[in-house]
Amino acid sequence: LSYFCLFHSGAYCKMLLHAAKYPHCAVNGLLVAEKQKEKKKDSHSTPILCVDCIPLFHGTLALAPMLEVALTLIDTWCKENKYVIAGYYQANERTKDFRPNQFAEKVGARIAENFSEAAMIMVDSTRFTMGCYEPILTIYDHHENKWKCRDCNADCFEDWCEAQKITSALLEGRSYESLIDFDNHLDDLRNDWTNPEINKSVLHLC
Amino acid sequence: MLRKVAKLLYFDNWNVLIIVFTEMRDKLRKWREDNHRNSEQIVDVGEELINEHASKLGDDIWIIYEQVMIAALDCSRDDLAWTCLQELKRQFPGSQRVKRLAGMRLEALEKYEDASKQYDSILQDDPTNTAARKRKISILKAQGKSAEAIRELNEYLEQFVGDQEAWHELSELYINEHDYGKAAFCLEELMMTNPHNHLYCEQYAEVKYTQGGLENLELSRKYFAQALKLNNRNMRALFGLYMSASHIAACPKVNATVKKANVKYAAWATNQINRAYQLAGRGTKENKCSVKAVEEMLESMQITMS
Repeated sequence: LSYFCLFHSGAYCKMLLHAAKYPHCAVNGLLVAEKQKEKKKDSHSTPILCVDCIPLFHGTLALAPMLEVALTLIDTWCKENKYVIAGYYQANERTKDFRPNQFAEKVGARIAENFSEAAMIMVDSTRFTMGCYEPILTIYDHHENKWKCRDCNADCFEDWCEAQKITSALLEGRSYESLIDFDNHLDDLRNDWTNPEINKSVLHLC
Repeated sequence: MLRKVAKLLYFDNWNVLIIVFTEMRDKLRKWREDNHRNSEQIVDVGEELINEHASKLGDDIWIIYEQVMIAALDCSRDDLAWTCLQELKRQFPGSQRVKRLAGMRLEALEKYEDASKQYDSILQDDPTNTAARKRKISILKAQGKSAEAIRELNEYLEQFVGDQEAWHELSELYINEHDYGKAAFCLEELMMTNPHNHLYCEQYAEVKYTQGGLENLELSRKYFAQALKLNNRNMRALFGLYMSASHIAACPKVNATVKKANVKYAAWATNQINRAYQLAGRGTKENKCSVKAVEEMLESMQITMS
């Protein structure tokens, strides 16, 4: 049984922009996918398309209340847009630390309760460059209560060249300065965590 | 006629330059006072200020060199950091403060042993130098040695019990280790010495909530409420009050009176949250979806809680 998760360019670039905005902090967030219609019995061939990314927090991640608020709120928003929360990403505080910790596993497991093919994604900051020459994610799938690592390469993207081009361009242009995460939203409710401006920029570059 | 006009224009340009320069200097000062870590912007503004307007800065230039140097380290601009360091070394030879900056540069280059030696030499001359001790703890943190960092920080706080920054750092280290009880203790220290600080109250409430259990939930609700009293616009406290009250009301162990009271608190919080979103959403089309999502979220939680 192999789950297959494809990243849309916008989802990938927002993850990296989030990490770039707070290079000295741990950051985390959610990935959302389009809700599949009724699955046929043998359909492991239908890939899940991660269409968007919602950046959540930066700094101290391991506290429950705001995470619960964010999960519930974003779940509601997903239902309205026929999305489903399909994954969780995290970039650790220390650059060299790219393994998932207990907290990442907990959140991943919580998401997997509602979506069995949920992926946990760790960002490898040691390979983070402006040019985005290679995908810098490690993907973990939930198998029998354990997280198994899967390599992330160009095949994991809807269109890797496009993702690379867009992410690199937005990094150069310092778009991360205007990226909004859920923490920013809690600081000022007018800050929109769906990041419509960045979505527009992504579309322009497509 | 032309000469008069030309002179006027020149005068205007000069005024514009002065305005630009003072704006830049004031920005840097504000970022310094707020302890902002917006290092890329500090480097942008600071580098230009140093290169173009050094003569106008007066004695401010030294603290600006320090600020820009630290920001430059953050941005891997060793060239700029080195320049600032040299200026500071020249002006303040033998200074402990400048020695510490040299140590920070070594840290940025991941030369942790050399950096540690630098801080040790400061501590030899001045064993009470808190900055050097804290940098040594930062090195442990950077190397991922959390247990050692926690131990050293605890030792430091036995001596320097009033250092709030250190207590806060320790609470964060404990949270990252999921040791919520000890994190709560650190925040209690901070709340005692800063009873009007709504952020400490709110963080304490979050830690208690995360610890879990009915008693901790009730404590968390009280402290979320206290944070709101201190600052009624703290959205985290408002959401936290809602969540904790809702969970208590839904808990099968509570009696009817407690349940009723908490349902009331949750309902009050719901109203406040809705109001806050309405106020924020006024005028923007995008925020309408946020408002709607929050309303539905609160409704659906109330259904499961009742």
